[in-house]
Parts: sequence; C-alpha cells; structure tokens
Amino acid sequence: MALTATDCVLLSDDERSTIEDYEGGVPRWCTGCGDNAILTSLQRLCRDEQLPQEKVVFVSGIGCSGRFPHYMNTYGFHGLHGRALPVAEGIKIRRPDLHVFVNTGDGDCCSIGTAHWIHALRYNMDMTVVMHDNRTYGLTKHQASPTSPLGLKSNTTPYGADLNPLDPLSVTLGVTNASFVAQAVDWIPELLHQIVSLAFHHKGFSFIRVLQRCPEYLPAFFDPWVQDPARVLLLSHQDGIQPAPSLSRTYRNQEEHDPLDLLRAKDIAAGADAIPVGILYRNPEIPRYEELRKPDRLYTPDAIAKGFEAELDRFTIWPEQEEKEHAAT
Amino acid sequence: MLLPELVRFHLTGEPPTDTEPAPPGLRPAVLASLQDLSTLRYDFPLLLTENGDSLTLSLSELFDDILREVAPPGPSGERIRRHLLGLELRIRRAVSGGEVGLLSQMWEAAAKGLLAETNADEAALVQASLAKAEAARLVDGRAVDCDDRLASDFLEHIWTAVGKRQRLVVRQEIAELTLRLSNILQADYSRSQAGLAPERLAGSVGVSHRREFDFEAWSRMVTGTPSGAVGPDRRRRLESILSILENQRFIPGGKATPYSFRFDRATAAATAFRQRVPEMLELIKAMTIARLEIENRYREPKHDEFFAAFDETSPTAQDLAAFPSYLVTMQAEDVVGTEQAQLVDILSSSLPIKVLVESDDILGESPIGDVRWSPGVGGGRLGNLAIGLGEAFTMQSASSNLPRMEETVVAGLSHQGPALFSVFGGSKKHVRDLPRYLTAASAMRSRAFPAFTYDPGAGDDWAARFRVDGNPAADDDWPVEALTYEDDNLQRITEEVRFTFVDFAACDSRYADHFVPVPRSSWNDQMEPAWRFLNGEAPPGKVPYILMATADNLLQRLVVDRELIEAARRCRRQWNSLQELGGIHNSHARRLLEQARARWEEETARELKEVTAGSAAAAVIVEERPVEELETPPAVEEAAVVELPEEAPPADEPYIETARCTTCDECTTLNSRMFAYDENKQAIIADLGAGSYRQMVEAAEACQVAIIHPGKPWNPSEPGLEELVERAAAFN
Ligand SMILES: Cc1ncc(C[n+]2csc(CCOP(=O)(O)OP(=O)(O)O)c2C)c(N)n1
Ligand code: SF4
Ligand code: SF4
Repeated sequence: MALTATDCVLLSDDERSTIEDYEGGVPRWCTGCGDNAILTSLQRLCRDEQLPQEKVVFVSGIGCSGRFPHYMNTYGFHGLHGRALPVAEGIKIRRPDLHVFVNTGDGDCCSIGTAHWIHALRYNMDMTVVMHDNRTYGLTKHQASPTSPLGLKSNTTPYGADLNPLDPLSVTLGVTNASFVAQAVDWIPELLHQIVSLAFHHKGFSFIRVLQRCPEYLPAFFDPWVQDPARVLLLSHQDGIQPAPSLSRTYRNQEEHDPLDLLRAKDIAAGADAIPVGILYRNPEIPRYEELRKPDRLYTPDAIAKGFEAELDRFTIWPEQEEKEHAAT
Repeated sequence: MLLPELVRFHLTGEPPTDTEPAPPGLRPAVLASLQDLSTLRYDFPLLLTENGDSLTLSLSELFDDILREVAPPGPSGERIRRHLLGLELRIRRAVSGGEVGLLSQMWEAAAKGLLAETNADEAALVQASLAKAEAARLVDGRAVDCDDRLASDFLEHIWTAVGKRQRLVVRQEIAELTLRLSNILQADYSRSQAGLAPERLAGSVGVSHRREFDFEAWSRMVTGTPSGAVGPDRRRRLESILSILENQRFIPGGKATPYSFRFDRATAAATAFRQRVPEMLELIKAMTIARLEIENRYREPKHDEFFAAFDETSPTAQDLAAFPSYLVTMQAEDVVGTEQAQLVDILSSSLPIKVLVESDDILGESPIGDVRWSPGVGGGRLGNLAIGLGEAFTMQSASSNLPRMEETVVAGLSHQGPALFSVFGGSKKHVRDLPRYLTAASAMRSRAFPAFTYDPGAGDDWAARFRVDGNPAADDDWPVEALTYEDDNLQRITEEVRFTFVDFAACDSRYADHFVPVPRSSWNDQMEPAWRFLNGEAPPGKVPYILMATADNLLQRLVVDRELIEAARRCRRQWNSLQELGGIHNSHARRLLEQARARWEEETARELKEVTAGSAAAAVIVEERPVEELETPPAVEEAAVVELPEEAPPADEPYIETARCTTCDECTTLNSRMFAYDENKQAIIADLGAGSYRQMVEAAEACQVAIIHPGKPWNPSEPGLEELVERAAAFN
C-alpha cells in the first residue's frame, strides 16, 4: 500500500504499549476464576496489535463477565442486562474507527439478551464478541442458566435442571449471516489467545464462546475435560488455530477442519462429549451492516441540527398552510 | 505522355511538358466509397457522457443499446428500429453540420423534425417508438464530432471526471479532519470553566424546565477538568491547521475560491505549480498533523522538530496524489522557444502536469523542407521525444482514434507524474477534399502518425510500458486494403493494395508537385504500384504510381517522384523502430532466438550422436527414479511432534509450564514474591528463596490446570518435608 507522510511519521513511532498500559482496576473476580484468563488474552491482544487505548471500547452487560470493562484501561460501557450488543452496534455504526469488543455471559447473552444476539449475528457488524460461558449465573450466586446441563442443582433448580441445555454454537451457526464462530476454553490460554486474535482480524461479527470455569459455584464441573486432554478436540487448519508442537503433545485429539465448511461445523458443534476448540466457521465475504449503511455525508453539528429541524418540521402544524389546503379541498 | 518523360519526372521531379493539372477533388482510391460520413454508423458523433458507466460512448453504440432494449425481433421491432435509426441519422447530421450541445437537446429537435416529416397515419407509431427510446436513454452528455475541438474537449472531459472522483475523496477527508479537530476544541471548551458557566448549563436544559434548576449552584458543583485540557501550544497548533484546512484553495468546498488548474501554455502551468508549492506543503503538513492529532499521537518533543523541517522532500507520492493535476492544451505550432523548453522540462520532471499538444500538420511544406530545419520539434515527433525522456506518460494518437483511447487517457491522467498527449487532428487547410476524420485516420493508417502509448508506471521494462497494438495491422509495414472497382468492360475487380505514406501525402495540396497525373491513354506496364516500389519488389526501370479517385469516382494514376518515395521509406523506418519497441519484429529478440535455435540444434545433434554411439541406455537410466521415492510427501508435521525432545527440566527442580497458565491468581495470591507474572501475564517462579517448599506444594495443589511442578525440596532444614514430598509426587 502507498504510504502517506502520516504513516511515515507513525512508522518512526518508538512508543510501545505494554500489557500494563491496558490494565484497568484490579479484578474483583474470585481467585481461580476463568474470567482472568480471558482478561489476560484480550490485554495481550491489545498489546500485540498496539491498539491505541482511546480507539478501543469494551462493552458488557450484567454478570461477573460484565465487570470486564472496569479492568481494561480503554473506553468501556457497562450496560444493562442482556443489552451489550445493541450498545456496541450503536457505537460501531457511529464510530467505525473504534475497535469494539463485547463481553457477555451465558445468562446475559442466551437468556435475557437472546433477541439481540440473533439479530447482531444477522447484522454482522465488525466487532469481537466473547461469551463467558460458565454454565451458571455467577453474579446472582448460582442460578441455573440456559446452558446449565440437565440435572444441575442450583439455587433456582434445587432438584436439578429440568431442561436440556441450549447449545450456543449450534444456534449461532444456524443464524443468517453468521460469519465467525469459534470456541475456546479458558484453561488452554495459548489457543484462547490465537482464537481471540483470529476473531479480531476477522472483518465482521466474531462470536467466541469461551468455556469458563467458575470455581466459586461449579468448582469441579470442568475437571473431567481439564484433566483429560483426550476429551478436547482441537480444530486445526491453516486458516484456523495452529497448536504449537509442545501443545500437540498434550492435546493429540485433533481434526483438520476448514473454517469454510459449514456443514461439518454444524456436526462438530452438535457432537457430544469432546469439547471442540478452534474456529468452527469463518466467512469473510458476508456484508457488514455498518458498510451497507455507511453515511455518504458528514454529520457535522450543523447537518445534524438541520436534519432535526427538517424532521420536526414534518410534524409542525403550519396554520396558514392548513387553511390553504383546507380551502383547496 | 511518354514513358521516358515519366521516368525523368520520377528521378528529377521535372514534369512532362504535356502535364495537365490534376482534376479537383482527388482522394485516395480506397477512401472513395466514404463520400458522406454522416450516413455511416461509426465512432462519431461521440458522447462525452455525464452519467454513464463509461466516460464516452458513440452515438451508434448508444442507439444499439437502446434498440436492444426496445426493439424486439419481429415486424413491430423492425418498425421501431426504422424509426429510431431515422432519429439517429438526424442527430448525426446535426452534429456533422456543426451543431454543438447536449444530446438531450439535439434529440428533442431531431424527434420534432422526424415527427414533422411523418405522415399522419404513422405519426402515432413514431411517437410511441420515440417515447420508448426516450425512456431507455439513460445517459446524456455533449455530442462532439471529429473536428478541431475534439481532442481538447475529449481530454478536458476525462480530466474533469477523473479529477472529480479523486477530489471527492480528498474533500471528504478535509471535511472530516476539520470536524474532528473542531470536536477536540469543542470538547475542551465544554469541560472548561467557561463551558460550565451557569448560562451555558442553562442552554443545555429545555425551556419549560429551566425554572426548576439553580444553574449557579450547578456550575459551582461541576468544576472544569484541567487534566487533559488542551494546552496553549496544542490549541495554537489546532487553530492554525484548522485555518489552513478551511482556507486551502486546492480542493473546492473550502471558504476560499479554488485555484484553476486549466492552462493553455506550459509555462503558465509550471509557474502556477511552483508558486503554489509552499501552500501545497502547508496543506499536506496540516493534514498530516491533523491525522496525528485526531489519533492523539502528536508528541511535541518529536513531531515539532519533524514538521519544522517539513519541506519539498517530505511528502510521499500518496500525499501528492491528493492534489489535482494541471491540464495544458496547446497547438503544436505554439510549442516553440520557451514553451518548447518548458514542455521538455515538465516531461523530464515529476510534476503532475498533463499536456495535450494538438497538431493539424505533420507533413510540413515538403518532405525535406521545413520540418527538418524548423525550430520546433513538430507535433509529429513530440511523442518520440517524450518517450526518450523516460518518465512521462506518453500517448500519441490520431483524433479519429480517440474514442478507443478512453482507458489510456484515464491511465495517463491518473499517472502521478507528467503526461503528454500528442494528437493529430487532420488539417483542413492543406487537405481540402477529405473530412478531418478521414485525414486523421489516414495519418495513422499510413504510419505518418502511428498511435502508441508509453506508460512508465506499467512496469519495469519496455514490454510492459510500450504499446503499438492500437494501430491497424500493427504487424505489417503498411496495412492491406481491398480496392474494388469496375474495369472498362464493367467487370468487377478486387485488388489488394497497401495504404502508404505516399497515399497520405497525396491528399496534401502542398505535395501536388511530387505527383504527375497520367491520362488513361498513357497507362502502361512499366508503371508499378508505389507500395511495391517501397517494398523493393519492383523490377528496375519502372515508375511508381498511386491510385486516386476523382470527384466523379474515376480511377486516376499518379506517378510519384523519388523524393517522396525516399520520405516514405524514412517513415517506414521510423514505424519499424516503434514496432521493435513494441515487441513486433524485435531485432534483439530475433537475434537471441536465432542464437538459441542454433545452440539447440547443435545440442540435439550432439545428443543424437551420443545416442547412436551407444550411450542411450545410460541416459535413460538417469531419468528413471523409483516412483515411491518421488511421491512420498515429506513427513514434516508428524515427525516434528514425535521427535521433539521433551523439554521438561530434571524433576528435582521446581518449574511452571508458563504457556499453559490461565492467570488465575491462585499462586500469586499465595506468595506474590515467589510467584510473579511475565510480560504475557503468565506465572513464573520469580524468586525461589522468597518462599518455602510448603508454599510451592500448596500452589501446585491450588493450580487448577496442574502446571506447577514442585520438584525436590531445596532447603533440607524445612520442617515436615517428608509429608510434603509425598504430596508433591502427584505433580512432578
Ligand atoms: C433486567 C435484569 N434482570 C435480572 C437481573 C439479575 N441478574 C444479574 S446478573 C444475572 C445473570 C448473569 O448471568 P451470566 O450472564 O451467566 O453472567 P455470570 O455472572 O455468570 O458471568 C441476573 C439474572 C438484572 N441485573 N437485570
Ligand atoms: S462467581 Fe464464578 S464466575 Fe463469578 S467471579 Fe466468581 S468464579 Fe468467576
Ligand atoms: S495457579 Fe496455575 S494457572 Fe493460576 S496463576 Fe498460578 S500457575 Fe497460573
């Protein structure tokens, strides 16, 4: 690409941000909470990409995951329960220059926020969405969530959950315009980081479901998978994750999966037992709403004021005109 | 008229005593059938479109498009076709009659005319056809003919369109930078003491509720935030670049009247460019600073110095590309003296100046006369001069060929450096009996003015940069034409002839002395077509002639003198070198090919000899390799996984598999001096001495991903070691 003088000046930029530059408040999550791993990988991403802090915004809903923006030294919006996505969409459409990230929980996204989730997939706006799926409502002290497994005893299901859990991957893959669907687990940070990075570089709505441990309320829940690497299925591909040889020694259960293969992706998502980790689906060709609706002029304060006036004028009653119209009929 | 007299004329230019003046209205025989161009559907009139997909479109292409849409096959479609072709003919006639204006206006007039001449029975049908066509005509624009204004109109049209696209982008960027810079100042004001004054706060509340508020108290409570406020230096910088952005004169849309970039002298354009350089640099600098300011990346200690030293060498090609190019249109006869020197300067520079030089005379007074000794380079040779300079985009073409050059012209105008467009428009002064279109086309056909393009941006070698393929029969010396006529016995005869420089010169009244018309009674076998003569195919003792047609379409032979034949040979030599540059019959390539072929033949012969000498078997065996060996893919990945040495350090020393750490804080909470995070925020053993073996073992037990390996105790005096070693075993 051709360079401008600005690029040249910036190329000589010797200030580099470190991870500390992206650290906000001290996390108040429980010790051992999987949210910490997600936080670290996103801070690493910002550092690796050298994103200017003021060009980044983290938007969240309500839940333990909702505290995320407080821990990032960037712009942030701690929103309403289930409403992180519409806020993020509003930000993106008006400020396409910002890197928008969304943190949402399994309750926040798959329960109260389901409608927004489905439509956000269809809009396919360029943002990175991390769904912290701990299979429970952590903040409200262990209430059952839509992803809680059948029979899980919680404060709201003392005799065990009655329903089969909802599978966020299958739902996502089934929505029109879904363009990036991935799954990570908080206990393999190397892959979590690769997936976050691929999601960030994808132009469109990147949805990552992260299976996240909640040691406070489901202390041993993920142990069978954490302790048995054979029950994790790595989806490697040249367009997807590429586990390092040292990791492949531990995680031998691997499948070469082309992220463009939607049918196989759906099969993998629906598969039982082994947790797939990697990019299930990616299609960079799907149009983005913010591009389709890109304004063709600049919204200066003047233009906005004029627009408002014109809009309000439509509802104004003009006495003389009315008389004229009346006379005409 | 006797043969020896004709031979003498050919050799000396001395005409036979009984020479009659050439009959008026002579035209090259091959052009005889093209009497009235307005009856032909060809490249003209040309529409310089305002709203089409392409920037130009011929009238006949437009009508073809419309007919395809509104005239289905069958009788009713046929009728519509007839009506619309009538309409097209009227427009064509109007344009060739000298009318200028928008297609839509001419269309309306032509439609009226057509209706006026239609009888009452058919009027309704004609009306219906016209209505359909009108609805299908999606483009409008100026209709131009191949006349003396064509080249400059054509170029200016494309220059404006290309510039408009590019200016729109820059204009939007300037508007956006201005807005964003103003936002910084506005935000700063809103947070300042003044911005939080009671009156301003009152302005932010709806009128009906104002009475409910105490704005004085409110203002006292929300004090301005001095932190992050715009300091005086930054404010001065922002205001200064804002004023530069608002008052710039390069891109329309600012407060000041924009500059003009249209000139009719090379000197004027170059002077204007130089005078505007400081302002241009100011603007580039302002835009650069603005982008940094908006990104909040302007650092005074570093950037102040950089921008203080900002000069002509600082902008990149991309920065300069944002500025409009300068368009100069000149007549070839004006390219003399300082103008010529300036033009050469421009073409050797990297200035964004695009120059159109239009010539209507490329022959000059005589084949060896004026042009050779005249002070100017002459339009005919400007193009060659420009490609010699190396860095200027160069296009040479006859005006008749311009409709095919739209893409090339767009490329030349988008090229970052200078460009020369040398166009021959056909002279009316010296060639009276041909329309301009045919004169121009003949100049190109006869190689007197071949078309070529040199695009220095298209690649690194001549093969990528230079093209002559737009010429008719570009592989040949002269294009072949079929001439059909009736002989004395009214038999139809078709003869193959070649259209050469001599035929072109014969149209020019100044060259009449180089020809002698030979009456039919004196035609004889010793006369030989001039093109054969030029090709050296004529036996000695013959005289060359060309065929022309009289006004009443009778064939006329004209004998040509030697001087003109020589001029034609020179013309062909020049054409041949252009062909070579364009990769046609290239002598270097041909020589290389011959050498390669000779080498190949030699080697083959040698190999053949070896084979027959009995070493054939060995040669075959060398080629034969086991198939499996070739087909087994290199087993990289699997091998890499399996063969990598295990990296685990000796089990005695404690260690953490850092890459697998999930930053869960368990170990660091346990002892933040013994355990710490690395630059990726993953746990490492920072200081073994800062903690006990007990803490190490507890950390290993707490770590949910079990990546802490405690090893053996390092301090034998620590109490309870035995039990701890037992607990540690599970993690080692
Ligand atoms: C409108 C509304 N309804 C209910 C709540 C109560 N509430 C707070 S957090 C939460 C569930 C969060 O669960 P999840 O999204 O899984 O997040 P986690 O805490 O597990 O990270 C609920 C129901 C609320 N804050 N707002
Ligand atoms: S309750 Fe669970 S999800 Fe919430 S912070 Fe604690 S461990 Fe994490
Ligand atoms: S306990 Fe394990 S996962 Fe947690 S920070 Fe320490 S090493 Fe990392």
